[in-house]
Amino acid sequence: MMSSLFPGLLDARYLFWLLKGFGLTLQLSLITIVLATLLGLLVAAAREQRWLAAPCVVYLSVMRNTPLLVQLFFWYFGAASLVPEAWMVWLNTPKSLLGVPWPSFEWLAALFGLTLYSAAFIAEEIRAGIRGVGRGQRAAAAALGLTGWQAFRWVILPQALRIARGPLFGQYMNVVKNSSLAMAIGLAELSYASRQVETETLKTFQAFGVATLLYMFAVVLVQTAGRRRAV
Amino acid sequence: MKTSRGLIFALLALAAGVAQADKLDDIKKAGVLRVAVFDANPPFGFVDGKNKNIIGYDVDVANAIAKKLGVKVELHPTNPANRIPLLTSNKVDLIAANFTITDERAKTVDFSVPYFATGQKFIAKKGLLKQPDDIAKLRIGADKGTVQEITLREKYPNATVVSYDDTPLAFAALRNGNVQAITQDDAKLIGLLARVPDKAKYEVSSFALTQEYQGIGIGKGETRLVALVNETLVDLEQTQQAGKIYDKWFGPKSEAPLPRGAFKIGQR
Repeated sequence: MMSSLFPGLLDARYLFWLLKGFGLTLQLSLITIVLATLLGLLVAAAREQRWLAAPCVVYLSVMRNTPLLVQLFFWYFGAASLVPEAWMVWLNTPKSLLGVPWPSFEWLAALFGLTLYSAAFIAEEIRAGIRGVGRGQRAAAAALGLTGWQAFRWVILPQALRIARGPLFGQYMNVVKNSSLAMAIGLAELSYASRQVETETLKTFQAFGVATLLYMFAVVLVQTAGRRRAV
Repeated sequence: MKTSRGLIFALLALAAGVAQADKLDDIKKAGVLRVAVFDANPPFGFVDGKNKNIIGYDVDVANAIAKKLGVKVELHPTNPANRIPLLTSNKVDLIAANFTITDERAKTVDFSVPYFATGQKFIAKKGLLKQPDDIAKLRIGADKGTVQEITLREKYPNATVVSYDDTPLAFAALRNGNVQAITQDDAKLIGLLARVPDKAKYEVSSFALTQEYQGIGIGKGETRLVALVNETLVDLEQTQQAGKIYDKWFGPKSEAPLPRGAFKIGQR
């Protein structure tokens, strides 16, 4: 074994734990990014409608003005205690849907909480993008005979997304980093795995060092994806 | 000569010391058994709110030993760090203070047979955990970075272990139904359980993953005293007294109910 030659290194078994955690971090982050972007678009669009603006403002301020950790605790511990007991049993029983293993309740709560939180920030980035599109664009679209929705979909939004692209990818990097808070609700992602490896090996520097490198790798990946699309 | 006279005195004193080394006779002569007990560790030893006496499980055991000797008992309040020094400096004759038997301590003191057992146990809904094999099928909550978490994963690699930052959070997850059981030291578990409003729904498992034993601490080499203490303890079990004392402090009607399990005094 490498570890017996170099006692400072982590055993292969523990590196595997960290990689497994990293896989979960990537998976959770990617799905959150997709769902939060869709929800963010909806909220940004809804905010432009007069009668939907007020509920959107409430949602945005609640999500953006409270700590994510508290929100995760709320969904996992708080909201879960309001759900009927039979549902919790069903949610926590291992099963598979169409061959795909049903995810754990920790995973669902983390995805739900992280998506709602991130969508609020993404919605605001998109709205900033929409505001950045010249007023004349909407008027010109109307003059061409486009309806309000058509103007938004085909004229405003493409330009808004172009403006918002940089900040949006910044938010995506935040999603990767914020996913680490899911360890507080027992999700075995990368941070959780690094704590576990540290407990078992007492190799503090190595455990957290490897986790840090993996997070950096993931964030750089998101960053590069953002750059490439900008070309 | 001064030195040789001093030496003789020293030798005489030593001889006297050896002759007196039998603590059992000393106790009987003095008519008092001095016992170190906890005064802030319910239900093992704590101050009674009403009359300010020290009471508890360990105190009852100490009283039984004094009764056997036919002497009065004198309780000396102590804490974990002071237990052994009190005994080695001859301030007390026995330690009865939730004193866990370890190889390390056995180098300094002698132990009686075990009269109490603690261990890593579980809290689950009543009737869910009957035998250790039930664990493998469940989702179990643990505390991150504890010995209990490691032991659980080592002994039950197939169980789903979900770790939380501390025991109250793990307990919240249990009450929500996110996990079906949580694991910790049984003393900690009964403390947790005592405070929750719906405690009637839960119970502490009767089996333990790891077992630790508590014994009476006795001065090194006091074989006759050790034998008498052992005899008293085994008698307590045989006359059904042990179960009664246990139920008084840990029984279903006590403040901190804890199933006694299969443990009997003197067994390992």
